[in-house]
Amino acid sequence: MPKIKIAKKSPSLDMTPMVDLAFLLVTFFMLTTKFRPDEPVIVDQPSSVSQIPLPDKGVLMLTIDGKGRVFFNVEGQQIRRDILDRLGSHFNMTFDENEKKRFSVLSSIGMPMKDLKKYLNAESEERKILNAETKGIPIDSTNNELAIWVNSARKAAPRFSLAIKGDREADIPTIKRVISILQDNKANRFALITNLEGAPEAAK
Amino acid sequence: MSEVQQQESSDKGGKHKKVRAKKSSTHVDMTPMVDLAFLLLTFFIMTTTFSKPKTMDITMPVKDEVKDEDRTKVPASQTMSVILTADNKVIWYFGQEDPEKPPVTSMATFSQTGENSIHKILLEKNALVNNQVKAVEDSVKRGLIEDKEDVIKAHKAAVKNAEKKGLIVLIKPDETSKYNNLVDILDEMLICNVARYAIVDLSESEKELVKNTK
Repeated sequence: MPKIKIAKKSPSLDMTPMVDLAFLLVTFFMLTTKFRPDEPVIVDQPSSVSQIPLPDKGVLMLTIDGKGRVFFNVEGQQIRRDILDRLGSHFNMTFDENEKKRFSVLSSIGMPMKDLKKYLNAESEERKILNAETKGIPIDSTNNELAIWVNSARKAAPRFSLAIKGDREADIPTIKRVISILQDNKANRFALITNLEGAPEAAK
Repeated sequence: MSEVQQQESSDKGGKHKKVRAKKSSTHVDMTPMVDLAFLLLTFFIMTTTFSKPKTMDITMPVKDEVKDEDRTKVPASQTMSVILTADNKVIWYFGQEDPEKPPVTSMATFSQTGENSIHKILLEKNALVNNQVKAVEDSVKRGLIEDKEDVIKAHKAAVKNAEKKGLIVLIKPDETSKYNNLVDILDEMLICNVARYAIVDLSESEKELVKNTK
């Protein structure tokens, strides 16, 4: 009987196309991804059928969480520095270079002015604790710090639009108060940030 | 050059062994690289967020003292007040609120279906405008209006704003309602083609009304 010869084939197969594809996808995701900065508050936004996207740049964001705490955020290091300078001159506080730098790279801030220095000098772990304990930027009429924040920000970045990012459970008096502060600052147009939801059939 | 030629001549002589380049495989083991590539791929797929947050534009009136004669007068029969209260309940009534003569109020819910859904009520009360918006959609289907999103939008907006007899909604969020309710009702304004609406504070008599309804 003749021996049956099994053709010797290499068990390795050509992976080049797969690798090409994998790298293509890696490149795509690397370029499209935008890292979310570490937000001090998690907000569950209500959903709406509105389709207008939030602009990438030029937004002054006021976050109101479920407990009614108000946080302030704006992107752009230079603008943040400018805002801090204006806040400092208003409250007669001086910030050193280190504190300014910290402020310019942080995300949302919800500290009363008296605690702001402590917050800026804290390490990231301490900052988390401070964020959990904070009452947010004061909005009551006797100590209306938010009005000064908004005012400084509007002066530092006059072309920026305003957006309110509220939690589903945020109470109406707080929301009304914030809107009223914005109105006092001559900011009558603003956006409410929501998630997209499908339009109900009946409306079509 | 001369060296090469020398070598060639010596090969011809056949006394020396042939100098052969070692035949090593051109394949490189790519497995670790692929592993890494897929690891990165997984990481970026997991961290990326495609859905961008959407926004809802609202415009509030300028907060100056407005003289009474400067205020826009609206017919009471067209004005619907929607009071948002606790537990996602809605109280609504037509006409002006009058402390002497409490209006006939009804309760509604935020659900999309059912007899008492605010969505249904708004659609019904705003039928005049809704029918016109539907007419625009029909003309799109029949090819009378260009089937482009912005063209359709412009037509709809024109129809909505032109109708002077359309519904006017006063949104009155009560202290106990949540932000979610406010966004929901603003959303309904958009869905039900209500062109004119405003967020208003509750009056004292309305606060009483909410208390009594509970």
